[in-house]
Amino acid sequence: MATTTLARKPSVWTPGFLAWLGLLGVLVVIGLVSAFWVFARGLVLTNMTDIVPWGLWITIDLSAIALGAGAFTLSAFVYLGGYKKYHSIVRLAVFIGFIGYTSALLTLVMDIGRPDRFWHPWAYWNVHSVLWEITWCITIYLTIMILEFLPVVTDLKFFDRWPWVRKVAHILHKAAPVLALLGVMVSLLHQSSLGATYGIVKSRPIWFKPSMPIMFILSAVAVGPALTMAVAFVTEMITGKRRVDHQILFNIARFSGFALLVYAYIKIWDLASVTYYGRMPAVNEALSLLYRQTAYNFGFWFGEIIIGLVIPIILFLVPRFNRNPKYLVLGAVCAVIGVIFNRWDITVTGLYVPLEYSPGTQYQLPAGTYFPGLVEWGVAIGIVGYALLMLTLGTRFLPLFGDPKPRSQAGQGD
Amino acid sequence: MSKKKTKVKLELTRRDFLVVAGAAVGSVVAAETLTTGLLSPFANLKQQQVEGVAEAVHESGAGVFHWGMVINLDKCIGCAYCQRACSATNDVAEGMEWNIVVEEKNTAGNTFYFSRPCLHCQHAPCVEVCPVKATYLRSDGLVVMDYDRCIGCRYCQVACPYDARRFNWERRHVDDNAWIPTWGIPEVDRRPRGVVEKCTFCIQRIDKGLENGLVPGEDYDATPACVNVCPVEARVFGNLNDPNSKISKVIEENATLRLSEDLGTNPSVYYIPPKEGL
Repeated sequence: MATTTLARKPSVWTPGFLAWLGLLGVLVVIGLVSAFWVFARGLVLTNMTDIVPWGLWITIDLSAIALGAGAFTLSAFVYLGGYKKYHSIVRLAVFIGFIGYTSALLTLVMDIGRPDRFWHPWAYWNVHSVLWEITWCITIYLTIMILEFLPVVTDLKFFDRWPWVRKVAHILHKAAPVLALLGVMVSLLHQSSLGATYGIVKSRPIWFKPSMPIMFILSAVAVGPALTMAVAFVTEMITGKRRVDHQILFNIARFSGFALLVYAYIKIWDLASVTYYGRMPAVNEALSLLYRQTAYNFGFWFGEIIIGLVIPIILFLVPRFNRNPKYLVLGAVCAVIGVIFNRWDITVTGLYVPLEYSPGTQYQLPAGTYFPGLVEWGVAIGIVGYALLMLTLGTRFLPLFGDPKPRSQAGQGD
Repeated sequence: MSKKKTKVKLELTRRDFLVVAGAAVGSVVAAETLTTGLLSPFANLKQQQVEGVAEAVHESGAGVFHWGMVINLDKCIGCAYCQRACSATNDVAEGMEWNIVVEEKNTAGNTFYFSRPCLHCQHAPCVEVCPVKATYLRSDGLVVMDYDRCIGCRYCQVACPYDARRFNWERRHVDDNAWIPTWGIPEVDRRPRGVVEKCTFCIQRIDKGLENGLVPGEDYDATPACVNVCPVEARVFGNLNDPNSKISKVIEENATLRLSEDLGTNPSVYYIPPKEGL
């Protein structure tokens, strides 16, 4: 015992590691300062207005939840699909999912006008509201992920002194498949409902379409596992230890590539039917306004299609690239950027389009303009800092990789 | 490489299954009792809510009333008195007007004035999207808000096709309302920072008036401030469900339109277009 502690100590707190933690600490402090400022003065500090009432923070919520989708997708692989060998990456996926969902909830608490009433959706139900359903699903799913993950945490030496905690965790561990199944169901619901949040709003012509929930869930299913794969590779590059079998990661990348292809397929048909063939007057007007006044076109073709789809699909599927961890990490980063672009495009540029309800020809609301304010960037930086800090500490101190059984761990060394 | 198969074995005994199932059922029951049941800290709120709804139904009489408004664009002169009276009576901040008046042009290029309160849709997107039922449709057709329940997510604002909602981005300054007392005295509380607000058709006057045996739309004290103050009687308020009410007759005798009817929102506000057309 004593020797392991002595042997481990110098390797943990290297100057580089400490500097990295310090940097993340600064980011988190920036976030906290911004958060307290907003709590004190209100959302007036943000650049959101009555015309564009949702902005950067909602984009972060949507992106973080989409990026956390690796958890349920890979859980479904293992527990529904029966691909047992992927079990060694489920823990990491669930951990990343946990980080994503907590980031989203933290941002959400900043974004609502009355954070003191965050519990209202549980007390006062409006079962017709997709947002109500999303709130429920997200909190339930977060609970499921915590329960799934608890056995990993209780594996730490720290819990030696409370054996009953381990006992509870052991029961939970046995219930893992049931929890994972529940998690998959709840995730399928809310990942698509997040798209429905926009897709059902008839007053916004470029939002109102049935493809919205489908595109949201497909992009999440495609990009979530890719992020998990990238995190596994990056951890390996930094620590120099191979923790997960590369074949598993290659397979995940290939899966992501195919999922992105399906997503691209639906996206292109959506584009064709809604904008090219559709020519609904309201949609046409809205899009031409966006083309004229905003960078929507560039954001869509460059951010969503080229960076978010074409590059990752090539890197994930072309044999020349998809055996090289560096290309795969690059592909995952591109896919992640693409999802963020997409969520921003939908949320913010969708709101730029002015509402037209007056019977006359002159009056309409001015087109929205929005660029995130200082506190919004501050909170965003803090959230990124929080996510990276959790990831760093988790990959460093939690037994995230591999099967808990020592036999298989030994097998992975060679 | 050959023996890499790690097996995930499902070792669930019957006991474990019962424990898990029991825990699941138990937590559902616990959640129910704690959130809406008798043991709940919210039970009181829930009870108030239920009583509130019952009261509203009792007071207004379900199906007896459907409060609506006609705005005659042909008569409107664009004086914006309605906007001022509304802002004074409901203590609305500048820039957050519940009731707007704007200059408009018809296709012939002639100017007319267009005004818009909340349209009190009978199939209101804001009611549907609210995650906490802070906005709800009363049995008398009014779409109203519970400012003590709103969490400020602003989904209603995003979903409203008529831009009828305003968010309190900051705490209001003590005397930011220049229309008081010239255009009226506030009859309702100020809304706190962080909630959305909207036109109520002066619900306080309707409810109080009915209690005192007055007829909203005919008696001054039971009629919305914007209707009372209009110098050209461009606005008519009343019960759409009563075929003998003034509003019903006005709708019967004039060609009317409602805003963005294609959205299926079924608004309670009717417009009489200008004579020379739109």
